Amino acid sequence: MVLDFNTFYTFPDRFDRLVEEFLRPAYGDRRMAYPPLNFSEDDENLYVRAEIPGVEMNDLEITLADKTLLIKGERKPEQGKYFRQERPAGAFQRVVRLNVSVERDRVTASLANGILTVTLPKSEDTKPRRVSIDVK
Amino acid sequence: MNENKPEEKSLPVLRPSTDILERDDGYWVYMDMPGVDRKDLVLDLRENELAVSGKTGVVAGEKERFLEVQFGSGEYRQTIALSDLVDRGGIKATLKNGVLELFLPKVEQIKPRRIEITAE
Repeated sequence: MVLDFNTFYTFPDRFDRLVEEFLRPAYGDRRMAYPPLNFSEDDENLYVRAEIPGVEMNDLEITLADKTLLIKGERKPEQGKYFRQERPAGAFQRVVRLNVSVERDRVTASLANGILTVTLPKSEDTKPRRVSIDVK
Repeated sequence: MNENKPEEKSLPVLRPSTDILERDDGYWVYMDMPGVDRKDLVLDLRENELAVSGKTGVVAGEKERFLEVQFGSGEYRQTIALSDLVDRGGIKATLKNGVLELFLPKVEQIKPRRIEITAE
């Protein structure tokens, strides 16, 4: 994608790029709740990850209710005279319904490169257990 | 089209959401590139444009099973045309919390050049 915000220039390959741009599937144009979430699990934990670039931990409010995880926050817009504004700004909130019970006291959250990871350890009674069955 | 290398095709190309704004000191560009590490970010200053690319990958443990996937790995790519008003030597780039901040300072003074014509 080429962004212009001033003088016109002629680029030898600009037309090519324009065509490439046009043919490209609109991957980033998904209309879905903000922020996008990935939800995964392994034997020990549930993981909730969210893409929230530009947000500090202080701007985030993570609440664990009975069986729901609430992620709330705000993206603050930059100040200046805008030529182009595509980045979403304002308050956001997402609710994740948890399918198993978790150990509330051991839930951790970390933020790296704009990706939030909430790790929710599963309660002992929901972890998969191996039961040996005697065959008679 | 022009520079499609085979290894680049494996990752979907993502266009980072971009803000461009002007303040008194120059132009400021913000790009959302969540998941991109500083070492995976490439800035390429060409004559009249600044090309930005960065790869992002999914961080996940080996045994993780995904129940819902709304974002994933890809390569962010964006190109910004630079005008003559930008002082190329003073461009600064900062990557913080998955946002790339580019500062494009204005050249000190844009002097209109007058061509003297001497009549003989």
